Amino acid sequence: MGRRGICKPLANDKELSDFLKSAEKRAFKRTAYAVRDEDAALDIVQDSMIRLAEKYADRPVSELPLIFNRILSNATMDWFRRQKVRQAAVLNFSELDFGGEDGDSDLLEALQAVDGSWASQGPSERLSREQTLAIIDAEISALPARQREAFLLRYWEELNTAETALVMGCTEGSVKTHCSRAVHALATALSAKGLKP
Amino acid sequence: MNGLTRGHRADVDALQTRFALRVASRLGEQAEALPHDLKERLRVAREQAVARARQVRLAQPETAPAFQVSQGSVALGRPLSGWLRMASAMPLMLLVLGLVLIQHLHEQAEIHAAAEVDAALLADDLPPEAYGDPGFVAFLRQPEQ
Repeated sequence: MGRRGICKPLANDKELSDFLKSAEKRAFKRTAYAVRDEDAALDIVQDSMIRLAEKYADRPVSELPLIFNRILSNATMDWFRRQKVRQAAVLNFSELDFGGEDGDSDLLEALQAVDGSWASQGPSERLSREQTLAIIDAEISALPARQREAFLLRYWEELNTAETALVMGCTEGSVKTHCSRAVHALATALSAKGLKP
Repeated sequence: MNGLTRGHRADVDALQTRFALRVASRLGEQAEALPHDLKERLRVAREQAVARARQVRLAQPETAPAFQVSQGSVALGRPLSGWLRMASAMPLMLLVLGLVLIQHLHEQAEIHAAAEVDAALLADDLPPEAYGDPGFVAFLRQPEQ
């Protein structure tokens, strides 16, 4: 984490509130995906907000997203520890194997299929928006925890690879691997669920 | 071959990123459509956090005045902190000065007392050499008649 900024403006109440307002729904959804319990997810998000406010509210606004995501990840892990079901959240990296050129070829086809379907389907052929969102929600939820975390931090929270690695406590290479596997799994699953050209 | 592989890899990366961003966009839509009660609970949590941050900021001047809000305050705060540190060291400095003064006065008193004894000896009718005479010492030890 960065040190106390000398030239960067420190977050005031409004900036902190605006940041939390922009991040709270994503934080809740991410946590709900992980713990699969809305009440627990709300508690974790609330605890994370309080921790941010108590210890890091005087940090520059630009540092808040990274700090908050780190706090949220730690709080979620604490919840799993308390629930003594951490094993359920630990990724079994061996359950998916999409490496190699053949995997890339399959991925390319799947990605092209899904990408094309979203871009070119007419209204009558397209799944309803709600159905599509529900399918995506279910498939995101079905991802292994580490893949989902990497995917959401990287593409939803829009952290870069290094920041994602910092939040997840792993290497940038691991982040890239998690993201690639997550995208592959999602593309394959969405393709299989009918999002095809 | 390598060029083809790199090109293939670049295609995959570009499609992967585009796909991921599309999925994230759909997730954003979904997050905005959270039920009202969840949004309200998140709002309350946010307001509590902001209130807590305000409390923490208000409590900071008592413990760390040098890290106050603006740079102007920081500039004024640091010398004040230095003065406070000096003020906290004042009792110790006064104690040391007092001990040095007492030591000095004590030495002066000893010198003065020794000078008085010397002056008395020199002014006495009895010469100082008499005190080195064994017979005179024995005379002094005799009980008074």
